[in-house]
Amino acid sequence: MNTQAIQILFLKDLFLSRWPMFGYLVGGLLSVMVTCLPGESAGFIGFILMITVTIAAGIHLIGALLLGESIDMTRTFIMSLPISLLDYSLAKISVVLVAFLIPWFGMLASLTIITFVAPEAKPGILPFLVLLFLFMLGGFCLQLFTAVVTESVGWTIVVLVLGNVTLNFFLKMLYEHPVISKLNKSEVLSWPPVVLQIIAIEAIVILAALGLTFMFQIRRKDLV
Amino acid sequence: MNSKLDRPQQNASAASLRGVTKSYKHFRLDKIDLEIEPGTVNGLIGPNGAGKSTIMRIMMGLVTPKSGTVSVLGKSISSREASAKQDIGFFSDDMRLYKSESIAFHMQFVRSLFPSWDEGYAQQLLDRFGLIAQQKVKGFSHGQRVKALLLLILARRPKLLILDEPTNGLDPVAKQEVLAELMQIVNDETRTILYSSHNTQDVEQISDTITFIDRGRVIASNNRDEFLDRWRRFKLQAPQNWQAPAIDGLRPESTFGNLRVMTLDRYETGVEDQLQSSGATLESSEAMTLEEIFIAAVSRGREEKQQ
Repeated sequence: MNTQAIQILFLKDLFLSRWPMFGYLVGGLLSVMVTCLPGESAGFIGFILMITVTIAAGIHLIGALLLGESIDMTRTFIMSLPISLLDYSLAKISVVLVAFLIPWFGMLASLTIITFVAPEAKPGILPFLVLLFLFMLGGFCLQLFTAVVTESVGWTIVVLVLGNVTLNFFLKMLYEHPVISKLNKSEVLSWPPVVLQIIAIEAIVILAALGLTFMFQIRRKDLV
Repeated sequence: MNSKLDRPQQNASAASLRGVTKSYKHFRLDKIDLEIEPGTVNGLIGPNGAGKSTIMRIMMGLVTPKSGTVSVLGKSISSREASAKQDIGFFSDDMRLYKSESIAFHMQFVRSLFPSWDEGYAQQLLDRFGLIAQQKVKGFSHGQRVKALLLLILARRPKLLILDEPTNGLDPVAKQEVLAELMQIVNDETRTILYSSHNTQDVEQISDTITFIDRGRVIASNNRDEFLDRWRRFKLQAPQNWQAPAIDGLRPESTFGNLRVMTLDRYETGVEDQLQSSGATLESSEAMTLEEIFIAAVSRGREEKQQ
């Protein structure tokens, strides 16, 4: 493993994705600000905008950094350099993940601050937000896995659509769950076992998707 | 470059492929044996889809062969091993740079991976190729893209250059600029070039040795001058019942009434006398161009495969 080459590849891709990454971070922070505006509809619109920004960031970054390299035929150039498949895979998967996590984390962190600082906010909603953001991170990791395995825009979009459909059921489940729905209106932050269990499941999905993505990538025989 | 049968094996070859096979759904690379001697310019000629690019990609570790061994610059090549690529410059016709970035960005990126990067030479190439460092790749013509890629490859001073159809689609001026640069590299006897094309004129211009490949097989491989010396075309006037003499490598090419056109791939002095004494009248004995040799070799290779 050549750590210097991995670092150079990572920074190159981070530089190439700087504008979309920055755009989604700004978009995400603006949508968080919308949730703070007065009125119930502002909160709802801000919430929808946050989900939209996260989904758009995921598919855009996977498309630009991963699938784009195959479609635009830049991968042949990269793989002609003294870079092994392991170096390439580690750098690529890390940078796609980091580029997504920057707006994702920016939104979650600002929401966390707001729940504690804003006068009308209820800190009890934080577990719900964490569950929601982890769900979207899981969806992104599954799209990443699909993109690496299939190298197909079509299949990645299919997984994206399935993820969005599942998100509706997940939100419905959270709203209707007696413990979680009660938490959302609570002034006190708490992490009941059911929340921790769902977080554990989400973490397993995320880690499994990332592990499988890496495993499939380094077992690839033909790179171009 | 030589097929193993044609020349004795060199111990310190720049690249060696032995028994390399690779299968795709509609194409198979069939037991390729190649030896590339250091300090030589090697032309790989074949029609589109012959397997030239696959061979080159296998040599770069971009494609994994089904069987066989590949070593380049004394190192075994695989997708898991990158060190050999430090001294190889690879160009492929379908290779692209990042459209949103400039040549300067790509130069900086490549420089960070190659301690051997020669900035002075890179600047010279920028001037010689008429490229502007700050220009975005998005606005490049095909010729500019090819030159930019060659700049990024040549400025690292690689020991081995693997160039897959570098002059494909270039206008005559750009083609000459690229070939002139390659000719300069050829003067450095420590550097080896493997150059593929379906254009025999380009390959003939710079190559020491030439390998013909067709439908995934090496059909002939030899020194360029030997190729030109050993192949001949004869035009003969012969009666309908004429039997060609048993000369090794003599094949009929075409017949027009009593006019027979024959090609020979193992020409030696005295062949003309043998033909004359067989009852035919020799009208001409002509040297063949590399393109004619290539077409004849492909035709023979396909006939042999069918038999």
